[in-house]
Amino acid sequence: MTTNTAASAKRATLFWVTAFMVGMIAAGLLIISGDFIQPPWGMAVMLLPMLLLIPMVRAPERMQRATGSASPAAMRYSRRMLAASFAYVIGFLIAVALFDDRAVSKSVAATLSLLPTLGTFGMIWAMTRYVIEESDEYLRARTVNAALMATGLLLAIGTFWGFLTTFGVAPHVPTWAVVPMWAIGLAVGQLVNKVRGA
Amino acid sequence: MKNRLKVLRAERDWSQGDLAERLQVSRQSVNAIETGKYDPSLPLAFRIADLFGLPIEAIFLRD
Repeated sequence: MTTNTAASAKRATLFWVTAFMVGMIAAGLLIISGDFIQPPWGMAVMLLPMLLLIPMVRAPERMQRATGSASPAAMRYSRRMLAASFAYVIGFLIAVALFDDRAVSKSVAATLSLLPTLGTFGMIWAMTRYVIEESDEYLRARTVNAALMATGLLLAIGTFWGFLTTFGVAPHVPTWAVVPMWAIGLAVGQLVNKVRGA
Repeated sequence: MKNRLKVLRAERDWSQGDLAERLQVSRQSVNAIETGKYDPSLPLAFRIADLFGLPIEAIFLRD
């Protein structure tokens, strides 16, 4: 029964993570194409896949309960991450909408740049609090391992990409990409933990 | 590090969940320690030893 519940929760997690990723990529492609949807509606398209964040956060919580890795700190982390992600998207939409609509001064542009950044502060704070609040040393060690792998991966890829850009091999990538890249690295780190059986 | 956790747990007819609850850790932690994938810290090893009423070296063995 528990095995069935765990398997079903794992499938649901995979489904919602895939749905979120596909939704975000599709929304991004729609906005980049620019022909179909004009601002501010173009940015509003991003809100739809963002709603998928809710089941995407809840499904792993169910999975954690089913696999015996749930902890109060992990639940708080999920909720804080969800709130920070929404803050990021809302900040991003406001910043892009205001920046697109009129020519703004450099100081205003700098302030607008801070809007989505506040959400990322929230994400970093949520991760820090999790590591501090998690009383289960094994779960904490696994998260720290994954975070170290994510950081290492980000530094290595960032350096490599930087030289590719310098030598004119690859296009420039905006530095705000570090947060989603780090999040992908965290997922890779958790996968490595799982494969290694750690 | 090898350990006798599974045997000690079986002697008491405890599930991994039961032991996890008594140690106030996750079931996954108990599983990782039991299968030798994770070596507990000294404070957790003492908690395990206290729970079973045994010295640490009677539960955890050198490789």
